[in-house]
Amino acid sequence: MQRLLFVLAFPATLSAQTVSRIVVTPAPASLTAGDTLRLKAQAIDAAGRPVPGATIRFQQVGGQFEGIVTPDGHVTSGAVGTLPVVVSAVVGNEKPVIAQVEVRALPGPAASVHLAPVVTKLLVGQSVTMKPRVLSKAGDLRPDAVAWASSSPSVARVAADGSIVGVAAGRALITAKAGSATTTISIQVIPASVGTLSLTPASPQARTGDVVRFHLSARDANGAAIDGLTPTWLLAPGDGAIDAGGAFVGYVAGTYTVTAMLGQRTAQATVTLTARDVRRPAKLLGSVVRNTFATSEVWVHPTAPIAYLGTHLGGDRVYILDVSNPGAPAVIDSLMVNARVINDVMTSEDGKVLVVTREGADDRKNGIVIYDSSDPRKPRKVSEFTEGVTAGVHSAYVYTQPRFGRHIYLTNDGTGALHIIDINDPAKPREVAVWKTPRTDAGRSLHDIDVRDGMLYASYWNDGLVILDIGKGTNGGSPSNPTVVSQFKYDLGTLYKQVEATDGPGFIRGTHTAWRHKNYVFIADEVFSQSEIQKLMGKAPARAFGRLQVVDISDPSNPKSVAYYEPEYGGVHNIWIAGDTLYMGAYNAGFRAFDISGELRGDLRAQQREIADFMPSDPKGFIPNTTMTWGVVVKDGIAYINDFNTGLSLVKIVPKSAIVP
Amino acid sequence: MRSLLRRCVTVGAAAFVAAAPVAAQDRDYLLFVGSESVDRVALIRFGANGAKVERERYVGFAPTELAGPHGVGTSPDSKWYFVSTAHGMPFGRLTKYSTADDAQKGQVQLGSFPASLQASPNGYYVYVVNFNLHGEMVPSSVSVVAADEMVEVARIPTCTMPHGSRFTADGLRHYSTCMMDELLVEIDTKSLAVSRHFLLTAGKEMGMTGPPPQRGAPVTHDAGGHGMEPPKPGDITCSPTWALPSPDGTRVWIACNRSSDIVEVDATSWKVARRIPAGPGVYNLGVTHDGAKLIATNKRGASVSVFDAGSGKELARIPTTRTVVHGVAVSDDDRYAFISVEGTGAQPGTVDIIDLMALKKVASVDVGQQAGGIDFWKSERRR
Repeated sequence: MQRLLFVLAFPATLSAQTVSRIVVTPAPASLTAGDTLRLKAQAIDAAGRPVPGATIRFQQVGGQFEGIVTPDGHVTSGAVGTLPVVVSAVVGNEKPVIAQVEVRALPGPAASVHLAPVVTKLLVGQSVTMKPRVLSKAGDLRPDAVAWASSSPSVARVAADGSIVGVAAGRALITAKAGSATTTISIQVIPASVGTLSLTPASPQARTGDVVRFHLSARDANGAAIDGLTPTWLLAPGDGAIDAGGAFVGYVAGTYTVTAMLGQRTAQATVTLTARDVRRPAKLLGSVVRNTFATSEVWVHPTAPIAYLGTHLGGDRVYILDVSNPGAPAVIDSLMVNARVINDVMTSEDGKVLVVTREGADDRKNGIVIYDSSDPRKPRKVSEFTEGVTAGVHSAYVYTQPRFGRHIYLTNDGTGALHIIDINDPAKPREVAVWKTPRTDAGRSLHDIDVRDGMLYASYWNDGLVILDIGKGTNGGSPSNPTVVSQFKYDLGTLYKQVEATDGPGFIRGTHTAWRHKNYVFIADEVFSQSEIQKLMGKAPARAFGRLQVVDISDPSNPKSVAYYEPEYGGVHNIWIAGDTLYMGAYNAGFRAFDISGELRGDLRAQQREIADFMPSDPKGFIPNTTMTWGVVVKDGIAYINDFNTGLSLVKIVPKSAIVP
Repeated sequence: MRSLLRRCVTVGAAAFVAAAPVAAQDRDYLLFVGSESVDRVALIRFGANGAKVERERYVGFAPTELAGPHGVGTSPDSKWYFVSTAHGMPFGRLTKYSTADDAQKGQVQLGSFPASLQASPNGYYVYVVNFNLHGEMVPSSVSVVAADEMVEVARIPTCTMPHGSRFTADGLRHYSTCMMDELLVEIDTKSLAVSRHFLLTAGKEMGMTGPPPQRGAPVTHDAGGHGMEPPKPGDITCSPTWALPSPDGTRVWIACNRSSDIVEVDATSWKVARRIPAGPGVYNLGVTHDGAKLIATNKRGASVSVFDAGSGKELARIPTTRTVVHGVAVSDDDRYAFISVEGTGAQPGTVDIIDLMALKKVASVDVGQQAGGIDFWKSERRR
């Protein structure tokens, strides 16, 4: 258990001090996730003798998500990963001698083996490859090689790569073994006496991006159905995807051949796709250019032709705009706020309560300000809420439930916690709950909140998407008792490895925004490399990165990513969904709108689901002639597009005109 | 951001013209100042023609987030400056930049809200207090960072809301305070451990050995305002925000922000020598290298006070250009004190320059909003 894997020392950077190097034991160091280990270190001089009186300290310098290292070298591992540890030796007040070691926390022994697809029936001569996943008791993935065996190779043969071949009719047990963990499946091999194979639908017509679900039907010579077979799916040409369940999506208009294989027998279907034909022009109706500060969030009052526009990078005001004439929106007033960033602005559903977030307040109390916006043109401040959220509030969501009344769900910059504030009396806001992901505080960040139908969708940066029941009741939740429904985490490091590869480590990336629509949650990541941030702050054109994922929550307890969108050259920031259209602020890629009708699979951009784009910019902008679109709010068919550098643009997507003969 | 910069430079140019050309005839003075609300560090040049922003460096990590640079300090060899960034996320960072060209040379993650900092006199370490302004009111720590490698080699537990970070001239002792625990804390830099602490509340002053006891609740719990709220009636607490050893190491001065006085502790006997009445909300302290003059920023008073360090007499109280007065740095020749002023709302931050001989403000230059951390870099023959 206590093997030392790795010692990286940058030791002998020495002058007159007596310590020459530090010897750390055990070397290399590793332990099982969840276990503990004691590191020891000794300061050694140039002659190889121990240096008496040297102060030795261990300091964890990373891996805060994976474990804890105390100054005396006691390691407690919580999860699989690597704990980098700095070991310092100091004599007197001299220059420290430093070594760095890594403690590897490894998965526990193999506890289970999982196979996919799970094959239960094969034809003689049919081959199917099963992929194994070996997990520890804690559910950590292990890299073990799996040993395969068949109880009856004369019936079913299994190769080292998990491919099974039906040899002769009969039954066989196929065993996959990793360490002491095994899993066994029973396979029935039947004669290859398939009379007919048919694939339905046989020749469907669809559009690019539509999901067509194929079903393979096998019948014997007597016409009896043969159930339980596992076909292998093929697709030609490859501009699309098909999964193990036969769900097909094509990206380019044309004809595709879908093939289902059962041994030597195959069945084919032809899919003809027409172009999606959703592309439309976007027409600028009017705009308000802002350049005193950068522009942040926009909100359109639900019952009045009034918009509220936040300010950033020193911004201390919310502009109030009259948008009754979309061709000539105009600033009519401002709310002055003790802040230097107003990141979020939102009203209640009835428009009577307005909430403004604060960061950078001169008294460092931050929090939120609550207004009575019954008169949308002249909101009246009724209260502030700062207790426990003095570090700043980045996002807030106002939501009303008949059973529980009205609450504000807000993010805490300092702790990464969700705070839930009862504002049934807006003049007396009252905190009713605080929730945060159950792990160490290091790096925890709650970035944005979406609430629909009593469920809260929290964009939790490195912790991914977290779904909480705050009143729907499926998991016993309420505003004062939010309960976890599920969490969807994904590997941000792998997803954006090209950003790190081209611009180095330390870039920012995390789950930034979520919006639930039907059985999907759309989540968008915020991704910037450090050099691009420096460009932007230096007032030069800069780009963002990022991916929008479509997460299927048909089973809310088991979210699955099924589709995605990545701009060719841009990011994915805030989104808005109205009807079957998703609207997006894509930073340097401007404003984008997408058709999200029907079932969603695969690469949405490749499927030509993009309806329209618009690039806000203005010579008098905060950064002139440079697009950096933050987000969009849609009301009555008009997109109110807020751009960091430009201000507010009102855009309408021109509908397809009817052909008049 | 650039428009802000342009405005700063414009206002600075105005100051350039308006200010009396009183700098030493052949010297330019350069210093760094951080602006917490716009993630910028400015290099200020002050010379015979007044003060101006020489250049600025963005020190944030994302354009739509506030990183919040709070502490700024230069290395003894003048090659580097260090910036602590506090806001926006739990666990802030210390970043090292080249004074020559602002290039980033290293970064390390520290505790919650890393704030005041100083590089050790031998240049081997940077001590940064983890102020934890917005977290639970629990004991926090002082981070010790190896300055070359930029790795944290120790995190020394102290007490609640540590603030201020200053070494003795010989580098053997380090002092910080704990705002919420009424304590002065002394760290023995050889053993990297707290050697003594001192209770500062008026009438209850007491020096003790070893680290402060770890307990659950602070003496006070008013974290808001960060030194801007005056004491309530009957409140005798100190709410210490800064500790500064005298150049000879025999005394330690502590700014009591709430009670608006300066406690002078005898470092040998570890007893109070005296309490010096100070300006409203005294916040940060600086001292001339000869130990003659003690400079104190008055956070609630829109002023800076200059004391005779020997007698404790307040020689002058000089109004600042704006309100919310923050930090102080003293020139290498003891002629000038440079005062960072946060300002309020959308006001720019400001650096006021005080002539310590004439005891008056002689120049002013605007920088980014919420100017805070400040440190002198060097003087050079005027270009």
